[in-house]
Amino acid sequence: MSLQHYLVISSILFTLGIFAVLTRRNAISILMGIELILNSCNLNFAAFSRFVTPPENIDGQIIAIFGIVLAAAEAAVFLAIILAIYREFGSIRPDEVDTLKG
Amino acid sequence: MVVSLISIILLAPLAAFVIFALLGLAKRSFPRQDLLSTLAMLVALGCSLYLIKEIVPKPDPHTVEWISLGNITLSMGFYLDSVTVIMLIVVTLVSSLVHIFSIGYMHGDPRYPRFFAYLSLFSFSMLFLVVSDNLLGIYIGWELVGLCSYLLIGFWFEKDSAANACKKAFLTTRVGDVGMFIGMMMLFTKFNTLSLYDGAQEGIFTQAAAQLTTGDMVWLSIAGILIFCGAIGKSAQMPLHTWLPDAMEGPTPVSALIHAATMVAAGVYLTARMFPILTATSSLVIAYVGGITAIVAATIAIVRFDIKRVLAYSTISQLGYMMLAIGAGSYVAGLFHLTTHAFFKALLFLGSGSVIHAFHAMHAHHDEDHTDEAAHEHDNHGLVHEHGSEIPPDQDMRNMGGLRKKMPITFITMLIATLSISGVPFIFSGFWSKDKILGGVLGRAMEWNSGHHYILFVIALCAAGITAFYMFRLIFMTFFGEPRNQEMHNMAHESPWTMTVPLIVLAALSFPAVNHLWFNKNNFKPPDQPHIQAPQHAYVSPDTKIAFSLFGLSEAEAAEEEGGKDTEQADKAHHAHEVAHNIAMVLSIIVAGLGILLSWLFYHRRRFSAESVATTFRPAYNLFWNKYYFDEFYDGVLVALTVWKSRLFAKFDLSIIDGIVNGVATITRKIFAAFIGFFDNRIVDGIVNRVAEVTWAAGGRIRRIQTGAIQTYLFVVLGGIVLIILIFRAL
Repeated sequence: MSLQHYLVISSILFTLGIFAVLTRRNAISILMGIELILNSCNLNFAAFSRFVTPPENIDGQIIAIFGIVLAAAEAAVFLAIILAIYREFGSIRPDEVDTLKG
Repeated sequence: MVVSLISIILLAPLAAFVIFALLGLAKRSFPRQDLLSTLAMLVALGCSLYLIKEIVPKPDPHTVEWISLGNITLSMGFYLDSVTVIMLIVVTLVSSLVHIFSIGYMHGDPRYPRFFAYLSLFSFSMLFLVVSDNLLGIYIGWELVGLCSYLLIGFWFEKDSAANACKKAFLTTRVGDVGMFIGMMMLFTKFNTLSLYDGAQEGIFTQAAAQLTTGDMVWLSIAGILIFCGAIGKSAQMPLHTWLPDAMEGPTPVSALIHAATMVAAGVYLTARMFPILTATSSLVIAYVGGITAIVAATIAIVRFDIKRVLAYSTISQLGYMMLAIGAGSYVAGLFHLTTHAFFKALLFLGSGSVIHAFHAMHAHHDEDHTDEAAHEHDNHGLVHEHGSEIPPDQDMRNMGGLRKKMPITFITMLIATLSISGVPFIFSGFWSKDKILGGVLGRAMEWNSGHHYILFVIALCAAGITAFYMFRLIFMTFFGEPRNQEMHNMAHESPWTMTVPLIVLAALSFPAVNHLWFNKNNFKPPDQPHIQAPQHAYVSPDTKIAFSLFGLSEAEAAEEEGGKDTEQADKAHHAHEVAHNIAMVLSIIVAGLGILLSWLFYHRRRFSAESVATTFRPAYNLFWNKYYFDEFYDGVLVALTVWKSRLFAKFDLSIIDGIVNGVATITRKIFAAFIGFFDNRIVDGIVNRVAEVTWAAGGRIRRIQTGAIQTYLFVVLGGIVLIILIFRAL
């Protein structure tokens, strides 16, 4: 398993994430897309840490763990916002939340 | 001592007034305020009487500098001589008695305290006028008494007639005051001072006497006549006399104090004060004005039925007498008559007040005065006319008659005053003062061989006879005969003691002893008149003419007083006056007797009918009844002219001034405003609107980019990143 394999998988994940974010109409699906993007990034960090930097340097892996924690926190906040939006608008489709639009 | 006494005399009534005013402001009152002002007047009276002792032959003024502007210095001060003391006593005495009388007369009036406040203010003003040693002080007092007169005439201002009368009095006297002020300014310009006597600086009289040799004294005559104009207004002389009869709308005690005894006598006092600067011309003017006033007012008085109007015209006539005396050089006689007249005329007015009061009791006090306004409604132009229908019933002599039994004290005291004013010989003061005037006028006529003074003497003599006639007409109509209005007669009663006591005191003063004490030859000397010279055709011998001219008539009187000098001219002058006085005395007794006899025949015995005489002499009767058409003349000429002029100015205002203003407005509106409006609307607003429209349109287009759909944005961001990556790859 070389670095390229990891990068290819990471790219596929990232692309899937972007696709989900751009095309889904459901806020939850968008959140899942975002998670995919984040995880592709974490995979990149870990891969580069393993193959590029010296073995004693584990900065990349630590950042990957930070990223996972961040994603968890972000998911919590996101879900809370979505709950509030649902209560207010009765929908979780972002294009229907348009009261700020002139 | 003198200064403090005068200060007390001045401050006592002033303090009473100030206390009243402060209480009025605080809306408080304490019981018997009337006693306070009466007490103040009695204090002033006591001080005045004490001052008799203090007079020195050559009095010195007590002057302080008041205003100093550059080389102009105005001073204020007191000056005390015999005239001042006489006036002080007259004013304080009559004022005290009127205060006491008012306690009874004004009882129950809703503005009772205010009446006494006004009386106190008046007393202060009059006393200030009298003691001032300069023309400015006299002028200040002069205007203050005018103000008080205005306030007191209009005391019952609910009545239209009273409100009009007080305005008329104020405005009419103001006409004379303008002349007086011009005269004062002439003297001030010439002498640079308004002080009459020597004080810190040379007074007017000294300087005027020093200019004797400069010849032409025309300006001095004019100044004298102008100052006399003030006296014409204040003393109600022709032709400014019309306000005084209307002033009878005020309460009767006011008529007695202000419009009979003191304020109207201020004009005589002023003329007497100006005696040393009177020239032959101004003296003659004064004498003629006085003489004509005396006879005209007397003839008007004959036909009046309102008891107060009779007395008002009588007052005008008697004031004319005093003016005549001073104009004819009989200084002492004028002031003597002023004093005696003050007492007996105040008595007559208070007596009439007592009669009116007696009739008044049948109505609630003065209330009917306030309700009969309808009778006065046709007083157009603000002037009050006396017509038969307008006489209040309680003042109409046709409602009186037979009152002598009902009101014995009022009757006897008024009879004494009437005998005095009519000139009944020897035991009444009026006889002596009137005789002194007649004698003085005739004496000057004989001494100067002057036709003018003979004419004036005849006028004065006729007026004396008429005076006796109409005064006894008043007495007969009021107190004798049968009651004409039984209902009113039954209600009549003698007045309370506060009203009868002043009557009795004044009646006592109408006997000569008291007054004669003062006007004896040692106490009272006329000042010199350096500007009057005996005319060329006088029978004074040529060699003594110079000496005579230096001292004028006063020298002759002085000679008379000192028992005759050795000089021939003094003897002759003395002789002339001696003869004149004897002739005048006999003639005045005859005319007075004639007047009383005629009055008795007409109004008591009914031997002749006044109505038939009136019908026979219809034109004369109409002339008297309409008061020589003075009011009509003023109404028709002066008032109408003023109204016409005002209309003209109103028209001018409406058409020309308003036209200009409106024209300017039109031009501004139509041209300037239109242009500026166009500029604002098109240019300024246009720019602003264009900017707004451009922004609006641009915004409308640009806002399309912002769809609000988050995924569009993300897509754009992604596209941008890809683009950047591609660009960097290409580099």
